[in-house]
Amino acid sequence: MKLTKMPPQVVRLVLLTVGIVGSYMVAKFLLTPASFGQYGFYRGAALMEIASHPISLAGQKACAECHSDEVELLARFEHKTLSCEGCHGFGQAHVDNPDVKMEVLNYSHCVKCHEANPSRPKWHKQINPKEHYPGDKCTECHVPHAPSEVP
Amino acid sequence: MSNPLSRRNVLGRLGALAAGLAALPVVKTAKAAVQKVLVSSNAPKGYDPTKHKWVMAIDINQCIGCGSCVEACKKENKVPEGPYFRTWVERYVIEKPKPGSGEARGQTHVDSPNGGMRGYPELPVAKEDIQHSFFVPKLCNLCHHSPCVQVCPVGATFDAPDGAVLIDPKYCIGCGFCIQACPYGCRFLNPVTKVAEKCTLCYHRITRGLQPACVEVCPTQARIFGDLKNPIPNDPIQEFYAKHRVSALKAHLGTEPRVLYAGADREVQ
Repeated sequence: MKLTKMPPQVVRLVLLTVGIVGSYMVAKFLLTPASFGQYGFYRGAALMEIASHPISLAGQKACAECHSDEVELLARFEHKTLSCEGCHGFGQAHVDNPDVKMEVLNYSHCVKCHEANPSRPKWHKQINPKEHYPGDKCTECHVPHAPSEVP
Repeated sequence: MSNPLSRRNVLGRLGALAAGLAALPVVKTAKAAVQKVLVSSNAPKGYDPTKHKWVMAIDINQCIGCGSCVEACKKENKVPEGPYFRTWVERYVIEKPKPGSGEARGQTHVDSPNGGMRGYPELPVAKEDIQHSFFVPKLCNLCHHSPCVQVCPVGATFDAPDGAVLIDPKYCIGCGFCIQACPYGCRFLNPVTKVAEKCTLCYHRITRGLQPACVEVCPTQARIFGDLKNPIPNDPIQEFYAKHRVSALKAHLGTEPRVLYAGADREVQ
């Protein structure tokens, strides 16, 4: 046979090359994740793994399913751009099980947005809590869902 | 002793090789099935990343610096306590120039204590010395040419086809190259998991048709979120582009961010 007539060092070299390339291909096959290259040079399954992170902020739509009257009232006044959960706390636990109560509001958070600050834009309504009826609750005069109404 | 290159032996080995090759697809399918089970059943169904292009826009004139977005982001994404933020709000205070200095603007002070989550301390300058002051929300700029993706030695960070720049936490080795590479300082090493972390545009929310947490809670709509591939009627993002002159941060770096700002002063850019 022709092959046996090849010098032994060449045969060994060919076998070694085949062995190295072969083991590289086997290792590459076994180590490459199944979804690699699905979208690019990365593991495609990572996208849905990242997307499977649980939700805690339910979103306005979920609130409106049960509390549509409040959401509609809010939409008629200046606070229409506010989201429910911005003040009431995260609601996914309450959506999943209505027995889980939302955060209790003490209206100390009004000043988070409305405390006077020279860095805030001029169009935004601001007060100095030390001068503007100190010690009184905001809700004694203001209706949070309808800020331009005074009771 | 039989000849190792006899017809019987060669045929036998070729047969074994063919059987091995035939088994490869079976192994591959089994591997894919196992991975599918490992991906939590929590994952959203029917989401195709190639059919979206998510972007965010920031209107600096609307930001009141309340810090709601920072707080919501931390809570929603379970960002560890301490100085770790996926989004944060910076306060810019630009002083009046000194009389006779010949400068148009004075010194600029930038701070973001606790990411702006718990308010800001007293101004570093007297109120009457301020020329201009404002808040700037910061987040991943969703670069078209992301330096963080270029430097990752293990390919753990990537540009998803829907525009989000994500990190595969299973492949990140926590070397921190991307943290140094990001010109916007948007990345950090999670002290608990020891992998790099950043804004994912709330990937778990947008893939379910919800808005990112920061956009949801922003009381003044300073953050606008949208899908360039699926414009909706009166699309807020298209309205934003039509209404404002927009600019990118550090445009000279050529990263081509997809997060565009309206009302960004020279000091911000």
